[in-house]
Amino acid sequence: MRNLKKLVDFKNWKRSSLTVAIVIMATAALFVILSILNVSEQQMIDRASDTMKQMIEDEKDSARKYVTITYNNLGVVSYISFSTSGASALKESYVGFAGSIYSAESGGWKFVGQMVNYTYRMLGSGENLLHGVKLTLLLTTLSMAFGSILSVFLALGKISENKFISKISSAYIFFFRGTPLLIQLFVVYFSVPGIFGFSWRSLFNAADPEAVYKGAFLAALIAFTLNAAAYCAEIVRAAIQSIDKGQNEASKALGMSYGQMMRTVIIPQSIRRMIPPLCNEFVMMIKDVSLVFAISLMDITTISKTIMTSEGNYLVFVPALLIYLVITAIFTYIFGKIEKRLSIYE
Amino acid sequence: MNDYQYIIKTEHLYKSFGSLEVLKDINLAVKKGEVICIIGPSGAGKSTYLRSLNQLEKITSGKIFIKDKLFLHREHNRTIHRVDPEEQKAMLLEMGMVFQRFNLFPHKTVLENVMIAQMLVRKKSKEDAKKLAEEIIARVGLSDKTDVYPSKLSGGQQQRVAIARALAMEPEIMLFDEPTSALDPELVGEVLNVMKTLAKQGMTMLCVTHEMGFAREVADRVVFMADGMILEEGEPKALFDHPTNEKAISFLRSVL
Repeated sequence: MRNLKKLVDFKNWKRSSLTVAIVIMATAALFVILSILNVSEQQMIDRASDTMKQMIEDEKDSARKYVTITYNNLGVVSYISFSTSGASALKESYVGFAGSIYSAESGGWKFVGQMVNYTYRMLGSGENLLHGVKLTLLLTTLSMAFGSILSVFLALGKISENKFISKISSAYIFFFRGTPLLIQLFVVYFSVPGIFGFSWRSLFNAADPEAVYKGAFLAALIAFTLNAAAYCAEIVRAAIQSIDKGQNEASKALGMSYGQMMRTVIIPQSIRRMIPPLCNEFVMMIKDVSLVFAISLMDITTISKTIMTSEGNYLVFVPALLIYLVITAIFTYIFGKIEKRLSIYE
Repeated sequence: MNDYQYIIKTEHLYKSFGSLEVLKDINLAVKKGEVICIIGPSGAGKSTYLRSLNQLEKITSGKIFIKDKLFLHREHNRTIHRVDPEEQKAMLLEMGMVFQRFNLFPHKTVLENVMIAQMLVRKKSKEDAKKLAEEIIARVGLSDKTDVYPSKLSGGQQQRVAIARALAMEPEIMLFDEPTSALDPELVGEVLNVMKTLAKQGMTMLCVTHEMGFAREVADRVVFMADGMILEEGEPKALFDHPTNEKAISFLRSVL
């Protein structure tokens, strides 16, 4: 409630945040207006040439379809293409923007049309969770979440006074930091089922056409989690060891056990110090996820490579890069907020 | 009135870091309610002695008794006599410690600093812990600062919170490890006042200090340490006015 009041009372805002707010609101308003103006699919189909319309009309009752209609709606801008297969292949494409429809056969609108189409595909729109941006986000957040939980135990293990536990943890960290992530992914995806006699795909319903993707996703999640845990463990260890020794002594003098001290004194203080390097690790992971191309999962990178191969358009990487930049910017912002929130006592 | 003679007693305490002997045959017996000030040049082993009492340092050999009961017995870096862990913890909690650099928990407010160990270690309910914490914070004169984080306090205030935190565990002995050495001169007084009040209330105190005025005024006994040994001990008046040991004479001449 108090936060809400502070938010409403914009006269007391800092000037910079006021500027940011105005820019954000203006952009949002623009988006809303543009999406209201955006043309519907039917309007775009109506724009097709008479020949194309005739062909679509003719096909209505026949079982065989020669015309493929691709409609990509990105909210503010949409793209449609009609293509026919067969002897006389025809292709028409249009871009709808701000209430008007433009032919996307050549020039600037052709470029816009292609970018809309590529972005749409890389976002994995119209597909399930295991495609495009959704796959990248899901794999990154889940493997970082599980990995950082695992890493706390690894870090505590490494600094443990028990020699055996310490050696085991060190060996784990050494192994996963000392070998390429791609090979770790191969080992989990190919070698582990080979050794234990199962297949990733068979863990899911065989009738499900997505079973192969689900299996590959699970394998990738395991490999990335194990790898992230090793890297995060070093971050967690360094943060724990950076806490003043006096904290340790004060806890002991007050009679706290090791576990109580770690839970209530050391780890809460070290979390704030972990955030910047963990953010770094997270951003690395967003890009490392592109390695899933090797086990045929369709993430942003794989999709852009596929488009490049099939259509030969080298501009496909422009939307790919932009999508990565936007994701990274969003997560950097979130981590920055978390860090700020955690440093109230300093 | 007490069923023990000495509240804390050490016999033949030795401590070495590698080949460096820091404590050599320290024998000291403290009665309940006594205030002992330990003085001496830096590097004399005063802090190490205090820290080995509550096991922040592992002694090389020697015996420590709490209320005449054996608390720790080590020879050649090996523990000879093992006390039941529960009992040992109980004995450890008889001692509260105040550090030179306060060591408050920076991520907890003043109130939480004083409450946390009560709840975790003494297993008190939140209400009970809060009640005692507020009472003790009032005793050190910081009732208006309960919801503040330590970083917002002055050094003197932080040290008073640290004293409150130790007192909240209701120890019978308070160990002060140079409690005013990290403070600006004008803040020393407020901490010493809290300590004087404690001494008047009958708290047993072992205090490593460079505040000779405080030692002279409050201590029942002053112990002079140098080179890891107790070279002289006695009532403050006698020790300050007529020291007999040569090192004590030159030390006192340089500080007074």
